[in-house]
Amino acid sequence: MKNIAQYAFLPVLTILFLGAETAAAHDPVFGLGPHTLFKGGVEIHAGGHREKSGDESETEAELQFKYGLTGDWVAGIGIPYVRSGDGDDNRGSTNLSTKYRFWRHDSFGVQESMAVLGKVILDDGEGLHGVEPDGNDYLVGLTYGYEGRKWYRWASVRHRFNADATTGAERPNVWLVDLVGGIRFSPTEYHEPDWVWMLELNGELIERVSQGTGSAEKQLGGNQWFLSPGLMWTYRNFAIKAGVQLPLFYDLSKDQEKGDYRALVELEWHL
Amino acid sequence: MRRLLSILMLLALAFPAWSAELRYMLRVDGLACPYCAYGIEKKIKALDGVDKTSVEIKLNDGLVIFQADTPEPMTEASLKTLINDAGFTLRQFQAQPLKPKNE
Repeated sequence: MKNIAQYAFLPVLTILFLGAETAAAHDPVFGLGPHTLFKGGVEIHAGGHREKSGDESETEAELQFKYGLTGDWVAGIGIPYVRSGDGDDNRGSTNLSTKYRFWRHDSFGVQESMAVLGKVILDDGEGLHGVEPDGNDYLVGLTYGYEGRKWYRWASVRHRFNADATTGAERPNVWLVDLVGGIRFSPTEYHEPDWVWMLELNGELIERVSQGTGSAEKQLGGNQWFLSPGLMWTYRNFAIKAGVQLPLFYDLSKDQEKGDYRALVELEWHL
Repeated sequence: MRRLLSILMLLALAFPAWSAELRYMLRVDGLACPYCAYGIEKKIKALDGVDKTSVEIKLNDGLVIFQADTPEPMTEASLKTLINDAGFTLRQFQAQPLKPKNE
């Protein structure tokens, strides 16, 4: 069994994106928004994520299904599939999620709301880079969103509790912080294709941990911030979202390479 | 007796049936994006008696308009629940008759 520290250049890849909350509806591409689904509605969500860090790369695809329990409460299941640049193909960990919009204030052409998110990333994946979690991971989040006919803004914070690896190596917990602004240049009507452009500031604060001793000692964790342009294109009940995360600031523990970029494309249907 | 029955029959023909086609105009708050408004379209089209081709969502006016022919007029309370289940807030409700069913 390989030690997680051997892949210190990939801390973020393996920690964050396996089971990170994929955006829904008119939510940010990388951040979290308060959107839910109408009662009795079904959402089919197919997403692809690619990340490159130095010579290493990784691609992840995920299929998600969500169901609107009420107009403010949604539950879903996601099944990812991961392929790393070294040819390591694995089914990722199944994730079960729920989001509850506990506050909503509607006015003419504007919706403001807040929601909480809970997610369990089950310990049923095949592991990646030889790192297999020894238990479930958990994600909790809080988000605020303002949506208007022209302007959008969101803020969110999430915390991911990672179980240790089966080898006993510690998988650090992570805070995710997002600030997002968006604009719809043209106030389209219901039966017209709709564009919303976004700019996100995504922060990832990873708990710093040390592994091994002496010359074999490795350190993981640190802080990194990304600037992420993105867009949402929707037509009635179909949506395409895409975005790129570009590194803005890094303060990582030694032995870790910063990422070059991350890209995300998502297709979504509401039925 | 015969005269009474004739009068009753004439009265029945003279009055329009209870069932009438109504045009509903809903002022809905929170309508910010077309993608999110799909739930309203789907829920209204699922109602019995609704003319599916009449459902119209005017985002820039915050209006949802449709026509329905139902035995009883839809109530504001029932439509408020429907709009809330779609994730929005019903602010105003208006129902106007289009034409009596027996015309």
